[in-house]
Amino acid sequence: MFKNPKNKKVLKWSLTAAGAVLLIGAAVYFYYATLTHEDTASLKADYTVEAISFIKEFEKDYKTANTKYAEKIIAVKGIVTETEQPVDTTMNIKMTNTTTGSYIIFAFQNEDMVKAKKLKQGDKVKIKGSFGDGIYSEIKEAYFINFQRSTVEK
Amino acid sequence: MKRTILSLMIATVSMMAFAQKKTSTSATIAFDASTSIDDLPKAENKTAIAAIDPAKNTVQFEAAIKSFTFSNPKIQEHFNQKSWLNSDEFPKATFNGVITNPSAVNFNKDGTYNVAVEGDLTIKDKTQKVKTQATIVVAGKTLRTNASFNIKLADFGVEGQPITAGKVSAEPKISVSAELN
Repeated sequence: MFKNPKNKKVLKWSLTAAGAVLLIGAAVYFYYATLTHEDTASLKADYTVEAISFIKEFEKDYKTANTKYAEKIIAVKGIVTETEQPVDTTMNIKMTNTTTGSYIIFAFQNEDMVKAKKLKQGDKVKIKGSFGDGIYSEIKEAYFINFQRSTVEK
Repeated sequence: MKRTILSLMIATVSMMAFAQKKTSTSATIAFDASTSIDDLPKAENKTAIAAIDPAKNTVQFEAAIKSFTFSNPKIQEHFNQKSWLNSDEFPKATFNGVITNPSAVNFNKDGTYNVAVEGDLTIKDKTQKVKTQATIVVAGKTLRTNASFNIKLADFGVEGQPITAGKVSAEPKISVSAELN
């Protein structure tokens, strides 16, 4: 087919390059498709805050507070005001400013849920989590501040 | 006579208790946009707020967009970015609806009831009418509810290459469940 050895060489190089591109593409796809969230317990907190003063920051100016804490890992020290477990696969812990009704809610997953299930109302704890955001609820007429992938520190 | 008055008082108190709005701050909203070629675009929000007002037959939900958790952080990042849900600018999705066949449910009697719900779903500041069937379980002072329906992402200004390429469903399924007290 290729009598000219130069053409053979070009074909060989083209096939090798195409194969390499395919391999790199597959590796990049595999990398992104199998990414998982980092374990919060292994991450250092960007901020350590007291629950009530943290809530007050949002009540005062939620936009500024959201910008300040966006995508940060935060450790919150406070008192458990409610534990909510509507189904076996959900465990949420709340710390509420009882004066205003605004609250922080921590969602737990997997093995962190087991530790969270041991908490009860009135417990003094430190919970570390990935900050979502703090927004006003028309239903509750208060701010709710969301954390995901939380872990009980003590 | 005394017994009748007492029975009436108990009935009135229990009816008053159920006339109050029932709420939950741990409602779950699941979003499933997976397709036959990509199983990853699905998420859950377990800290949504829900309310049912038996006196007014209203149903409400509020969910923080950033609280939808995907197993894959990259997909979660895309979900929140400006060209998709733009959660920085539109942080909340809301549903405000009514039970359109209120006679189908008796909030004062334990049981499982199938109701029809119709209302306004707002995502990215765009509002669309949603009609769905829902189940309400009355168990003492607690209500449990669940419903599911599909939405068209384009109706809410969510479009992009992953949808046209078939990696994200153009009509994801939304499932809602809550225990309200």
